[in-house]
Amino acid sequence: MQEFDVLVIGGGASGLRAAISAKRAGASVGLISKVHPLRTNSAIAQGGLNAPLAKDDSPDSFAADTFLAGDELCDRDVVRAFTQEASKEVIWLERMGVPFNRDKEGRLDLRGFGSNSRNRTCYADDRTGYIVLQVLHEQFQREQIPSFEEWFVTSLVIEGGICVGAIALGLRNGKLDSFSARSIILASGGFTRFYLPSTASLGTTGDGQSLAYEAGARLMDMEMIQFHPLVFPKKQGLLITEAALNAGALIVNHKGESITDLKGMPRHKICLSIHHAMQNGGGGVSLDLRPIGKEKLRGYFPQTQELLRTVAGLDITKDLVPIRPLAHRPIGGIETNAAGETSVPGLFAVGECACNGLNGAGRLAGNTLTEAVVFGRRAGETAAKHATAGPKKSFPAAKVAEEEKQLARLFSGESSKDSLAKIHSELGHLMNEKVGLIRSGTGLQEALGQIQSLKDRYSRLRVKNPSRIYNYELTSYLELGSMLTLAEVVVLAAGARTESRGAHQRADFAERDDTNWKSHTLVSLVGGSGQLQKKPVAAG
Amino acid sequence: MEITFKVYRKDPEKDGKPGRSNYTLELAEDATVLDALLKIRDESDSTLSFRGCCGRGYCGECMMRVNGSARLACTAKVPDYTKKGPEISLDPLRNVPVIKDLVFDWDAFMWNKIKEVKPWLEPESSPVNGENLASEAEMQDLRKVMSCFYCGMCDEGCTVLPVDFKFLGPAALTKAYRLAFDPRNKDSREQVKIVEKPKGIWDCVHCYEADEHCPRGIEPTKRIVALRDRAFNSGITHEAVARHHASFASSVKESGWLDEGRLAVESEGLTNVKGLMKLLPTAAKALARGKAPIPYMHSKRPDADKIKKIFEKAEQEEK
Repeated sequence: MQEFDVLVIGGGASGLRAAISAKRAGASVGLISKVHPLRTNSAIAQGGLNAPLAKDDSPDSFAADTFLAGDELCDRDVVRAFTQEASKEVIWLERMGVPFNRDKEGRLDLRGFGSNSRNRTCYADDRTGYIVLQVLHEQFQREQIPSFEEWFVTSLVIEGGICVGAIALGLRNGKLDSFSARSIILASGGFTRFYLPSTASLGTTGDGQSLAYEAGARLMDMEMIQFHPLVFPKKQGLLITEAALNAGALIVNHKGESITDLKGMPRHKICLSIHHAMQNGGGGVSLDLRPIGKEKLRGYFPQTQELLRTVAGLDITKDLVPIRPLAHRPIGGIETNAAGETSVPGLFAVGECACNGLNGAGRLAGNTLTEAVVFGRRAGETAAKHATAGPKKSFPAAKVAEEEKQLARLFSGESSKDSLAKIHSELGHLMNEKVGLIRSGTGLQEALGQIQSLKDRYSRLRVKNPSRIYNYELTSYLELGSMLTLAEVVVLAAGARTESRGAHQRADFAERDDTNWKSHTLVSLVGGSGQLQKKPVAAG
Repeated sequence: MEITFKVYRKDPEKDGKPGRSNYTLELAEDATVLDALLKIRDESDSTLSFRGCCGRGYCGECMMRVNGSARLACTAKVPDYTKKGPEISLDPLRNVPVIKDLVFDWDAFMWNKIKEVKPWLEPESSPVNGENLASEAEMQDLRKVMSCFYCGMCDEGCTVLPVDFKFLGPAALTKAYRLAFDPRNKDSREQVKIVEKPKGIWDCVHCYEADEHCPRGIEPTKRIVALRDRAFNSGITHEAVARHHASFASSVKESGWLDEGRLAVESEGLTNVKGLMKLLPTAAKALARGKAPIPYMHSKRPDADKIKKIFEKAEQEEK
């Protein structure tokens, strides 16, 4: 058994930041990640980190832009904390060694991005996420924190309503081990892999949210899923940073006509414009990067250029890039406060898997990475404080044996002739069709029925590979389970919100309804099914 | 299109001996090798182990050999590999311990070596608010080096690693460069000291395979050479190889060509009696054949002064 004050589950930007800050606050820390930290999705974030560093900028202006993008669903206290701490965090990153782009005076260069009203986005080429992740990993290694890489968490352990740790399967040795901790921070990333195609990676399957949900935590604003407007539509979509629009790229319809000025619009509006252009025009839509110019493309968008060439065979200095809005990242997730605490004592959540009310119904471009480090640090500090206060709850010794039995069940018995990939593919297709950019009551009802039938089929599958070492059939099986659970929650939440706001658009409720719906949706697991609640937006 | 994949197998839970499994399947025209592997695992053989993560060329995880050449499975388009026939062989990377099937030991191959170079910055603890001022040129160079996504291709192509797996390798040495050359690293001598030791920068044979293999143009060999220069300029040169370089350069600068006798003696070190004694048998043999160069009794070659000028000009430019 492993014992720590603070256990972090997930090795991306927010998890690493939380681990570093918990360690520096004096706690003993352990980190579990199902892939190596440098392979996590933080590596894919491109555009940059927002911070109100410029002389003509301020936390208030930053907050105003955040509220606008969030379509009035943001919790004010969280936004205030975030906009006030963003600059400090970004400066910290620079001091730890992030080689951000600089202006002529040698200061951090700030670029225009999305619907930010000022230039406030720090960036490192078009690989900001990856470079920030590397520096966080460097500092994580400096802290000598034990890191359990390629370990898959199979359950959270709750004792008397309190989270006391987790059980995980080591892929390399095939063994189940228990991880006892006083504070457990989930930083396990998003869940958009249940949209096919989407910009998700193979492992973006919402395991953290699913574990938290089953442990009694509430999932907030799950209907709010941000679609990214500029995605080259492969099965694992290749996203082009919105900074390209700010730099002069144009979105054109199949006739070559530029779609009305989209620069500076919030993401959900750009997505809807493209969606309508595709519906009305009857043809595809493309991104024209040529107006940016060869030099600037090479200088500022090297990764975009490289990947579109190797993956799509396109030369962005000459070719148009076919694009489509695709599901990108969740705004909703495990409900937390501004300190990262969930409703389950001992359990914290941060980053993509969490929802603390910062983003409301739409995330301002450039906020995500800043969010990961600001709240990562906070969650780490809070978790460390919690770990040293109060008596320690003992980790129930029988849990691992119970988990072994549960695991064994997945391998025993006759498997139906179905396939994981088939169920996943059908799920991915129905989510795109019925829970996409624009939803409707009837579509959501149908989706619910279809998901329930997929869950039924899933329950009749067994894991055929008997090994426990690098058994990716087993991990895929568990990941599909997480996706089915969360898909149902998303549909329930989407069905409940009878209005259109930000990322959630209803064909049958096309207007925003501030009278009834200036509230967050909450879904909790009660008696085996999802129960809905509303929580008013914090006026703060 | 119907393609047959011949995939390397190894089962640590059975006899651990390498084998091969063949899978024939129907694939779409735009399928990648990773698409094929996922299909095999789902429809034919769920015991096949391979890694895949982002699925679109960002993360570096699915590196493997496709028809013998290292590349990412997720960006390897199947039709590119079937020009000679509908068969594709898949193997783990070369020179790496294999755990199971296509899953090899990234820790032994790379992550542990990176840990050895103390891969973090010691930040200046200055009371100044705000960011460190820095030039875009310096930051751009660091960003170039940090675009390394640990795909392992440089280490895979390295000609030293198959002979000596303990060599740190181009990936870890490039990481050391990133830290040694970051102006904000208070402790940049640390990395130079570490890589100047055995199995570090002096074990690179500058075959330039790393530069040929790197898909991002990071030029690991160039970075290793830069670390050597830094070692010289900082006075961190404990190894015989470093003395060898210094002696070689001095000799050519002064006389226009190599004083072999001097080279042998200075490489060992003028006060290294044990080392110098080791040279005696070779010196005796050379003397017997009339080929013994007497150290320091060495004539200048014609136009030696022109060669000296080249050195002086290069030294000027470096400043």
